[in-house]
Amino acid sequence: MRILVCFKAAPDVEMLIDEDWAVDKKLKIDTSFVKNTLNTYDESALEIALNLRDASEALGTNVELSTLTVDGGGATAILKTLYALRFTKAVRIEPQEDLRFRPAATAAIICQYVLHHSPQDAVLLGRQSDIGENAKTSLLVAEMLGWPCISQATHIELADENHLMVTHQVDDGHIRQRIRTPCVFSVGDAPCTSLRVPTLRDRMQYGKKAVDVLSVEDFQLPVETETLTGLEILRHARAGVIIEGKNPAEKARVLYEEHLKPMLSQK
Amino acid sequence: MKFKCIINGCLSHTRAQAEELNGFISRFLDPEASDGTTIIFYSQKDERKALPGLVPTQRAELVRIDRYHPESILDALARIEYSDDADLYLFPSGFAGSEIAVRWAFRQKGSSLVQVKHIDCTRDRVIAKKTAYVDHVLATFRLDRRPFCLSPARGCVDRLPIRARDNLVVTEHDFTGLNKGIRAHDFHWIPVEHAKHFENPRFLIVGGRGLQNKENVQFLKNMADAVGAEFGISRAVALNAWGPMHRLIGVSGTIAKPEICIAAGVSGAAAFYAGIEKSKFIIAINTDPLARIIKSSDVVVIDDYKTVMAELLKFFTFDGANEA
Repeated sequence: MRILVCFKAAPDVEMLIDEDWAVDKKLKIDTSFVKNTLNTYDESALEIALNLRDASEALGTNVELSTLTVDGGGATAILKTLYALRFTKAVRIEPQEDLRFRPAATAAIICQYVLHHSPQDAVLLGRQSDIGENAKTSLLVAEMLGWPCISQATHIELADENHLMVTHQVDDGHIRQRIRTPCVFSVGDAPCTSLRVPTLRDRMQYGKKAVDVLSVEDFQLPVETETLTGLEILRHARAGVIIEGKNPAEKARVLYEEHLKPMLSQK
Repeated sequence: MKFKCIINGCLSHTRAQAEELNGFISRFLDPEASDGTTIIFYSQKDERKALPGLVPTQRAELVRIDRYHPESILDALARIEYSDDADLYLFPSGFAGSEIAVRWAFRQKGSSLVQVKHIDCTRDRVIAKKTAYVDHVLATFRLDRRPFCLSPARGCVDRLPIRARDNLVVTEHDFTGLNKGIRAHDFHWIPVEHAKHFENPRFLIVGGRGLQNKENVQFLKNMADAVGAEFGISRAVALNAWGPMHRLIGVSGTIAKPEICIAAGVSGAAAFYAGIEKSKFIIAINTDPLARIIKSSDVVVIDDYKTVMAELLKFFTFDGANEA
């Protein structure tokens, strides 16, 4: 089974302090000095794929993993790590435009990669990226490919060479079902799926392979039906009054007597 | 403007979806210039009777399908709506609503936006706002292509109870057996405890990554039970399986509106903060005076949450005993 995992490396915006948040005339925010990371949805998608490969080895079936990102180069370290985790192929597609808020363009690239460059049986993606928060790319990939889509996937197991057993979150519960490939999986809040760390030996042996870089010019991008027209920084400041006290007991007393008790005794 | 509300009645929170959309319509659409229809999908015959009471518009279409599956709803919608020219489709904020909004817009060659916080619309274009950059930024979009398919952000509007309508016009459809081509087998539905009680608790205690393990999460949960508070967790706690996912507070969980919220061991990441920002009063307990939550709280205790909570419990217990 050929499985493609698509991810987007994004700056860890929680590292920015209040003064860093500023929007320029091109509706961009300078995050160039912040380290790029995987968001938890993409990290879960990658780890779920690795678990599928582990299971395939035990079951004697073949799972071949590849990974793709549409990124200007900030994801190179992550791609090398994925090689060290023995992904067979790591591909970076170099964008020439700002794709932060263009999920249809990203989806079209992934779709055309699967159709024209590297056929797949399953495509896994995190449900949304940290920057655009568009929450649309995986759904649009499925629509463009004409494949079924399982959204909010939290656990995927190998059933046989053509089927995957997937558990996915729906409003009010989970559904567990066996699904025939090809299929797109949009990975949601999947517990215990932090991406494993490769061994130093695997980093040396596999992590130095060159990443395949394709130009976005090889792909046709659709006209986006939604256009970004403004960005406004959200501030959440409150009073932040610090309760003073010699020890935790005194602080707890002040908190209780001056704040909690009066508020809780109000009808 | 001709609009449609799409409700997934196959799951157990149909009323919540209907009231959310009713609140959204009431806040953002002009009743004089709007002409609405609600399409409710359901699967159990015995649920049919209650559905007319969950319609926030003048007209309703009740559509029976085999079971909830996005393909079933999309295919049935295509049959119902093939000759229609709706300007706007509104979907609820849940997983189903946001998924179907995007896929329906694609199939209709329209435009879509999910997790929407605000809209300003005319028949030809919609200006919509949603968060980006992990909830640090409010982004404004112009949607140009009809139909506009929107799904609101969780908690962006207050639910508005549905008013009973004597003159409701109801049309019925039966699309059971429509999706023979769906590739699912061995289908199992696993319900979880509903998190509805979270939304408006009087008193909420939330634990974050600083709790560090399952035992400490249970400790804080016991504290919450002892002082009569509801208990929630941050995403980091849920993803480490230190606490159950249905207690998740934040963008992908519950947006809570308590009168008092105690955030213990919480860093205050924006995606989490969105889940408590509607609290009237926020108390942070954290050992890190530089944590983001400090500036976003009303009062702060810089100390170990376990010791402070244990001391707080003594006051609750003492007052409780005296009242008794």
